[in-house]
Amino acid sequence: MKEWLVPSVKRHWRGLLLAAFLSLMALLCASGLLFTSGFLISKAALRPENILMIYVPIVGVRTFGTFRAVFNYAGRLASHNTILRILSEMRAHLYAKLEPSALFIRSKYKTGNILSVLSEDIEHLQDLFLRTVLPGSIALVIYGLWIAVLGIFDRSFALMMALYLLILTIILPLLSLVQMKNDHRKIAQNRHQLYEQLTDAVLGSADWMMSGRQERFLDRYEKIEKKSRLAEAKLDGYRKWRDFIAQGLIGICVMIMVIWSGHMVQNGVMDHTLIAAFALVIFSISESFVPLSEAVERLPQYQQSLNRLEQLEDVEDSTREQIINEQWRNQAKSITLDVDHVSFKYSETDDWAVHDLTLTLPQGAKLAVIGRSGAGKSTLAHLIYGVLEPTDGTVSLNGTPAHQMGAYRSAQISVLSQDPHLFDTSVLNNLALGSPDATFDEIVAVTKQVGLHQLIEKLPEGYHTQMHEAGSIFSGGERERLALARILLRDTPVVILDEPTVGLDPLTERTLLATIFTTLEGKTLIWITHHLMGTEQMDKVIFLENGRVHLQGTHDHLLMASERYKHLYALDVPQHLRQLVHEQKTEV
Amino acid sequence: MALGKLDGVSPSLSMDRELLSYRGAKPLFALTALLTTLQGLCLILQAIFLGRMISGLFSGKQIASVSSDLLLFFIVMVCRYFMVFLIKRACYKFADRTSVELRRAFLKKLFIIGPQSAKREGTGALVSLALEGVLQARRYLELFIPKMVANGIIPVLILIYVFWTDRMSGLILLITMPVLIIFMILLGLAAQKKMDDRWASYRVLSNHFIDSLRGLSTLYYLGISKLHMRTINRVSDKYRSMTMGTLRLAFLSSFALDFFTMLSIAFVAVALGIRLVDGHILLEPALTVLILAPEYFLPVRELGQDYHATLDGKEATKQLKDYTNLPTDLENMSEADHQKSLRWTKHALLKMHDVTFQYTDAEKTTLREINMNLRGLEKVGIIGASGAGKSTLIDLIGGFISASSGTVQLNDQNFAFSTQRWREQVTYIPQHPYLFSATIRDNIAFYKPDATDQQIAQAVQAAGLNGLIDHLPEGMDEQIGSGGRQLSGGQEQRVALARAFLCDRPILLLDEPTAHLDIETEYELKQPMLQLFENKLVIFATHRLHWMEQMDRIVVLHNGKIAESGTQDELIRKKGAYFDMVCAQLEGLL
Repeated sequence: MKEWLVPSVKRHWRGLLLAAFLSLMALLCASGLLFTSGFLISKAALRPENILMIYVPIVGVRTFGTFRAVFNYAGRLASHNTILRILSEMRAHLYAKLEPSALFIRSKYKTGNILSVLSEDIEHLQDLFLRTVLPGSIALVIYGLWIAVLGIFDRSFALMMALYLLILTIILPLLSLVQMKNDHRKIAQNRHQLYEQLTDAVLGSADWMMSGRQERFLDRYEKIEKKSRLAEAKLDGYRKWRDFIAQGLIGICVMIMVIWSGHMVQNGVMDHTLIAAFALVIFSISESFVPLSEAVERLPQYQQSLNRLEQLEDVEDSTREQIINEQWRNQAKSITLDVDHVSFKYSETDDWAVHDLTLTLPQGAKLAVIGRSGAGKSTLAHLIYGVLEPTDGTVSLNGTPAHQMGAYRSAQISVLSQDPHLFDTSVLNNLALGSPDATFDEIVAVTKQVGLHQLIEKLPEGYHTQMHEAGSIFSGGERERLALARILLRDTPVVILDEPTVGLDPLTERTLLATIFTTLEGKTLIWITHHLMGTEQMDKVIFLENGRVHLQGTHDHLLMASERYKHLYALDVPQHLRQLVHEQKTEV
Repeated sequence: MALGKLDGVSPSLSMDRELLSYRGAKPLFALTALLTTLQGLCLILQAIFLGRMISGLFSGKQIASVSSDLLLFFIVMVCRYFMVFLIKRACYKFADRTSVELRRAFLKKLFIIGPQSAKREGTGALVSLALEGVLQARRYLELFIPKMVANGIIPVLILIYVFWTDRMSGLILLITMPVLIIFMILLGLAAQKKMDDRWASYRVLSNHFIDSLRGLSTLYYLGISKLHMRTINRVSDKYRSMTMGTLRLAFLSSFALDFFTMLSIAFVAVALGIRLVDGHILLEPALTVLILAPEYFLPVRELGQDYHATLDGKEATKQLKDYTNLPTDLENMSEADHQKSLRWTKHALLKMHDVTFQYTDAEKTTLREINMNLRGLEKVGIIGASGAGKSTLIDLIGGFISASSGTVQLNDQNFAFSTQRWREQVTYIPQHPYLFSATIRDNIAFYKPDATDQQIAQAVQAAGLNGLIDHLPEGMDEQIGSGGRQLSGGQEQRVALARAFLCDRPILLLDEPTAHLDIETEYELKQPMLQLFENKLVIFATHRLHWMEQMDRIVVLHNGKIAESGTQDELIRKKGAYFDMVCAQLEGLL
């Protein structure tokens, strides 16, 4: 509430008020039309001598008739305009909240679709304004105005009416809220369960098919589904009864109005031309109270979205706003990377993710980091990139601690990751993200380097083709090449390669690696990899296990010295096969 | 905010014929028509009683003398809304039943087509179709019939009565309706056209935010994630002004609805007033007509109200139906098992002759004229460049897809892979085996739910999972899969191996099980895998050459065809496709 709703309401109260005012005027016009037309024909039935006697109500009827539509139109535009503004701000706020932990979203929120969920939550909140807050507050204002109008004629009756209409405006909506809240929660839980079961089953459908037990799953699913259907039917039944009762209450209201106005006329307090006016207008007044129940009933649904947004924590970004050494303002020509007895753990209770690691990488050094998942490879990369601060020891770039590089770090270190995101814009814009100042020729030069130029030229609109059209044309290897081109444009002295070839077939992997190593010649490379293919190109190979280095050296050295390395290398390059091929080649 | 969510664009008045084909739709239609007619009559009576009552009071009658009218008014009003209640209830029942049938058919189909459709349509889309889509369909089915019927009956009844009472007012109402509808449709179409024109920019702008969130880490690495905030604000603003531009037009159609309705009521009132002055009409009928005028337009207004709910529902219904009607020659699971059971033995012989498979979307790999025999307990390696058709061949043998042409014979009898009795002979291990959201025990025993603890323990041992399980706080009862403990790729693969050890089926299909693993994990998995291969027919698709040493025979695929096959030594000596592939892979990097 405080974080997401209150500020936007504060900023946009004028717009919201305008929207509410216009919608209110629209409703008042509709009521005014019925009121004046009832008055008009009653007045006319008195057969006045001159048509001018009924001229005012005639004008009133026409004016109300016309303006109702105008106000309604203006009100809807005003409310949508304001709400779209509020949504924009909420989106920006969400982005600002997520941005500091950009690199850790995936590990933090486990579920892959958290981003879509959050962005949909914001969309849901527009209904809070459009369907609950605005109609609800307007209905309450109408209620107040109506009671005030009645009060002019008869105070005690106005009081009675006020109490009676409370049933429609407050009691019925509150009852529905209380009554339905539990059902809504039950249904939501049930549907969540269905969602998980079904997702599980669809993802595992191959196994279900193989097992031959599909029917069993369907039966089980059907049982849970039935529960939720029964609950929904109950809700629906409740809604139908509620609407029916509301209509009955309105009927009684009309009768009371007729009796009252007849009474008033007979007592000579009120003119008899107003009977019809009051009887007609009460229909449209009380109709505006009916949607209140539905508006209130939705509240728990918004609550859920709001809760999720509010649970996002503020991330204290210790590595961001550090004292920034001004020497890093410009890109360094040469960087010596020093990792000195570095240890890191994510929290007090965790085991060491990286333990007592020491490395020195002069400019142009090439390091391969190998290890199974969880061995500490990514943590090491994050430490070098400076988004994690070592628990012990230091990581430094030319003497500056890596975590103190602040905003300048991206000018010194680039990262080629496993799944680079290609944005939904043109191919050219995607490349230019690497360096906004790059000229078109510079961009073409790097695409030629990474071997993509011809492919891009062949796209329907060349470099200006939209990525969502080109996306399917680019294969996994080509997407990496595109990301590599971005990195070449940045031209940073250090590049971290974070398993860029996972999931590619060996030939694609081989050619991609060749391109990477040629184009990045002279830069310091920290290459996290899962295979030994290409390690002979590296100055140094380290094997991480539980955060510690358990094997290190050059490829040739390890091949000689380590039995284990030899076995592993044989998986990538089977000896028997190599020999066979060798024999065949030498035969020729 | 997608434009599609906004209400008030012109309602489609086209009758959906398809709707009537659902079971129970026609009787429901008749019942609704009957109840709606009664509702219309009540509504007219209500106006008559109210008019009589007011004009009585107007002319100075005592309240007591109109009390019978008052009571009658209340009774017909309650009757009217009771009819509405009954209509809603009947329609809900129909919609509920029909949507359940739609969902059942959909899910059944889902398990017949299986992973293929999940790949094609996306898991999320399928799941949300089964959950949200069915709800939307229900809403559509629930709303559509009563709305159409109300529009067909109530205005007509009111018009007849008004004509009978006062021709002038009848004429005004009669003329307004078509004008109103024409304007709504024209403006709706104009808005639609404007939206279509701008569709491309819309798509980009509306996706921009989620696209930015997904690419957040890329932006971060590029050092522009803070700057990007400005872009987000700018694009958001552009999106808003564009949306508003379209809304200005889109809301015009409900403006037309409002405008003509209100104007028409105003005209009726003024015309009545003028003729009352002249003495051409009496107050009582005039009042009745005036009360009826808003009711005349009510059904049309309600049609516009839930227009988008109906539209979404219609679309969802269509999607559900289309999916259910997808052609498939895969055998239905219920009729699969009447054939006698099958057991693959070491003497079994399976012949594929000219087997061809064509994906419906032409882009993907197809298989052409596959001639291949599988014999006894041999180990067959399938190799080829990516896109050569390795996975397609595995899917075909696993019965996930079925051949478009060609014959398959098992022990000289015609035979199809896509039968349950064949699948029950096969264990399938893909690159990413799926772990269900369940305990590790249930995951291992998935294929054999009645396995004893001892059998499971043996499988765990064989797959080398005991190290992991000993470390888990809950041991075998630890929750894994989504929402549970995350396992590494290697551990997932071991769970799959344990499954395979436990169910001990005679045929083993493997599709790149180690491609994504780090080399140490692959090395450790090799031993248990080789053990699993014993006494089984193994068909193993992979890029990783070292596995080929353990295969009896290698089949090399190229562009969906079998390029060559034979033992590794034979193929190397032949210096064909396999030799080239091996050379390319073994060469140095540069």
